[in-house]
Amino acid sequence: MSPANGRTCGEDAAAYVLGALAPDEADAFRRHIAECDACREEVAAYEQITHALPAASPEQPVPRDLRRRVLKEVRATPKATATRRAPARVTAPRSWRPLAAWGGALAAVGVVVILAVALSSGGSSTRTIEASAGSAELRITGGHADLIVHRLPQLPAGRTYQMWVQRGNGRPLPTGTLFSVSAGGAAAVGVPGTLSGDSTVLVTQEPAGGTPAPTSAPVIVARVS
Amino acid sequence: MRFLRRPVDLRALADEELMELVDGGEVRAFEVIFDRHASAGYALAYRMCGRRALAEDIVQEAFLSLWRSGTNYDRARGSVRSWVLSAVHNRAVDALRRAGAKAGRDVSDEGIAERLRAPEATDVEVERREEARQIRGALDELPPDQRQVIELAYFGGLTHSQIADVLDLPPGTVKGRMRLGLTKMRSALGEAEKVAL
Repeated sequence: MSPANGRTCGEDAAAYVLGALAPDEADAFRRHIAECDACREEVAAYEQITHALPAASPEQPVPRDLRRRVLKEVRATPKATATRRAPARVTAPRSWRPLAAWGGALAAVGVVVILAVALSSGGSSTRTIEASAGSAELRITGGHADLIVHRLPQLPAGRTYQMWVQRGNGRPLPTGTLFSVSAGGAAAVGVPGTLSGDSTVLVTQEPAGGTPAPTSAPVIVARVS
Repeated sequence: MRFLRRPVDLRALADEELMELVDGGEVRAFEVIFDRHASAGYALAYRMCGRRALAEDIVQEAFLSLWRSGTNYDRARGSVRSWVLSAVHNRAVDALRRAGAKAGRDVSDEGIAERLRAPEATDVEVERREEARQIRGALDELPPDQRQVIELAYFGGLTHSQIADVLDLPPGTVKGRMRLGLTKMRSALGEAEKVAL
């Protein structure tokens, strides 16, 4: 195998698919396989094994209470509140400013989280950032992402958290995902669609029902790179 | 989205069809998905964590994520089952790496555990059991030093550096054993597939 990008090709593929690389090593390896066909093929081959490995676990009885609890939670989380679509109309953004221009505002509102997550064609990636006002975690598996937040403030009646996705330096587009947080400030929501390498996931506080363009500075900024 | 005007046996639908209904908020479709895959997810989580309470939390979180995400689960990268198991694995690794965070949470609930049998004893179930037998066989056939590093990494959530520390080996040796082991498993499972054909 020939050296590439400072590493020996193939050296890390097995450890990567087993989840045994440290986060920084995994990030570096993702960057490597984006450019290396041989390693990408090796990862794909090994992933056939790791996808089958769960079957090697001895069967375990599922506690009956687990099913009951999951379904109770599902019934208490109507899809309409988890993935509700905002009005599809597109209007000229009234209050959108480039992210950089929000610098002062971000500090003023005490932005809770700014995190960056590497995205690759394979594998998964998770980053969690803790801050005094809360924490957020963006889990990416393949092109799909979940945003999990903790300790965000509950909003008063008539207000909601709204998720946006921004591509490059374009304006943030409404995802239609509106959510509230639990008494403990927690929520987990899927990011609609597939994220690309230049996406940024934003969360702002908006009037109930959502808005077609952000009217406040983001409280979460999750950049995908 | 489909509108169900009369009772439909949802258990006859494929996972992908069920996920369309799940995306439309159909709880009964989600129940079928849960019944099909919760057992595998729980078995994986329990093997990785060794604690029932934590395994339950992980499975619950994974399935709720599927409910909230709907059809945004990554179809291109595999089946619903793969998505669920991948979600369980990622969450279990996160939990294992949050050292000590869950200490003392487990309670023995052996007495109330109850096997939730899949409502359909289908060819799919038979096929899954055969797949499980083959993957366990391939793992068992590995030399112990290769099996050990694979199990510590995948089921134990340890990084190669941590495994190197535990086993007092150079990190390169650990990675080499992982590679050899996975290559042998791939070869063994490829042979098993040929025999099955």
